[in-house]
Amino acid sequence: MAILEVKNIAKSFDGNQVLKDISFNVEQGQVVAIIGPSGSGKSTLLRCINQLEKADGGEICVDGTRMFYTDSERNKVVYASKQELRDIRLKIGLVFQNFNLFPHFNVMHNITEAPVHVLKKSKEDAEKQAMELLEKMGLTGKEKAYPCELSGGQQQRVSIARALALKPQILFFDEPTSALDPELTGEILKVIKELAKEKMTMVIVTHEMAFARDVANHVIFMDEGYIVEEGSPDELFGNTQNDRTKQFLARFKD
Amino acid sequence: MDWEAIKKVTGILFDYLPNTLKLFTITLLFSIPVGMLVTMLKKCRFKPVAWLTNLYILIMRGTPLMLQIIAIYYAVPMLKANFASGSDGFFASFVNSIDTRSDSYMFTALCVAFVLNYAAYFAEIFRGGVDSIPKGQYEAASMLGMTKMQTFIRIILPQVTKRVVPATANEVITLVKDTSLANVIAYAEITMKAKQQMNTYSSIIPLFIAGLFYFVLNAIVTVIFSLIEKKFNYYK
Ligand SMILES: Nc1ncnc2c1ncn2[C@@H]1O[C@H](COP(=O)(O)OP(=O)(O)OP(=O)(O)O)[C@@H](O)[C@H]1O
Ligand SMILES: [Mg+2]
Repeated sequence: MAILEVKNIAKSFDGNQVLKDISFNVEQGQVVAIIGPSGSGKSTLLRCINQLEKADGGEICVDGTRMFYTDSERNKVVYASKQELRDIRLKIGLVFQNFNLFPHFNVMHNITEAPVHVLKKSKEDAEKQAMELLEKMGLTGKEKAYPCELSGGQQQRVSIARALALKPQILFFDEPTSALDPELTGEILKVIKELAKEKMTMVIVTHEMAFARDVANHVIFMDEGYIVEEGSPDELFGNTQNDRTKQFLARFKD
Repeated sequence: MDWEAIKKVTGILFDYLPNTLKLFTITLLFSIPVGMLVTMLKKCRFKPVAWLTNLYILIMRGTPLMLQIIAIYYAVPMLKANFASGSDGFFASFVNSIDTRSDSYMFTALCVAFVLNYAAYFAEIFRGGVDSIPKGQYEAASMLGMTKMQTFIRIILPQVTKRVVPATANEVITLVKDTSLANVIAYAEITMKAKQQMNTYSSIIPLFIAGLFYFVLNAIVTVIFSLIEKKFNYYK
């Protein structure tokens, strides 16, 4: 059974229909890359899945729990109970383009804040886990630093550690490298590759085609609120038959 | 004025300094929490409450504090005059029971005027602080499963506090000077006393001495706030 099921999602912002009819599944352990031109609705889609935005229609299930569905008789989106939404929220993590670390907390505190105050873990356990995560992110020794003292790449790795501290079943990334200098994107891509090796389920919106091809095992191409094409990286990047996909990818060929 | 007279006037002003400080302290102590409350009311989703709050802020900031002091001070005596002709009921008997000639009435009226006025200014400062926190902070907290309350107390409020310190310092410095407006209803604070001494000695030197008092008070306020600002300097 798919760990994430997205069916017929629609969403508009004051009359401007950004998502028209989006359906796809994500299987356990899959790494999905979502690509597409600017304004095609990639961020909006992630935000609908992550409850930061309310969809106008459709249905989303996470790990077998239905987050919302559309009551076709009343044409209304019906959400799960507060408790269920909370449970779902803790199963998914989101890494933002601009990190959104808490500036008044140091690195350690950024990572332990939710485990301690949301999961009610003991401080010792949370800090032990945080140290392990920091080691994995190559940030040992930075636990007392404040976000403003770190480079963008380091901040992004802290924010990945912060999301991982809740042990999410799926981790979403919205252009995790596009706020970074090109020479810093490598360190983030390396971390994501590591996570992929550990069979972490991930959905990554990215403009890095080489990376998408390299690390993803499923690629979704979005344009104007629709999924134009999806498939394995080889199918999409290698020999797509779709004109719009071809046209889009041509821009990334040097 | 000779040296002896200057010393004597300084001594008199010192005796009345506590009255100035009393008004200053009570205003500060109450107007900050009331200001926070006003910020919340302004953000209330029930629109009429937000509108009324805006109207209150508009009036408080749009009219002179001196006028507000006079209006509040004379409101009770005026009401009393209206109620005199044998009216009863809870409100009327409450108003009639107030001794408007007592010192405590005068001080209470002053505090009410000052707190209402300053709360409006603080509310605007706090609102600006809350609005300046990027949306991403709320979204990150919500992605981590934090409740609205946790997000506000643990993530938003500490950052707002840092951001409002400089504007709050300005407001407190103004408050030190504004306490002198209390002399309009003859509250015995240092400006009022300096004016009396000016008449006694036919000299404006008492006013200079009073000015020095405010200057020193504000030097202290400035130092305290720069220490507070430093305390928040550990990030960004
Ligand atoms: N909160 C909002 N209010 C109004 N319009 C919005 C809002 N969020 C997004 N949009 C609009 O929706 C469209 C899709 O935006 P979205 O951010 O999802 O695109 P995207 O595919 O992520 O683009 P990019 O690659 O540039 O990040 C855009 O036209 C944008 O202006
Ligand atoms: Mg986007």
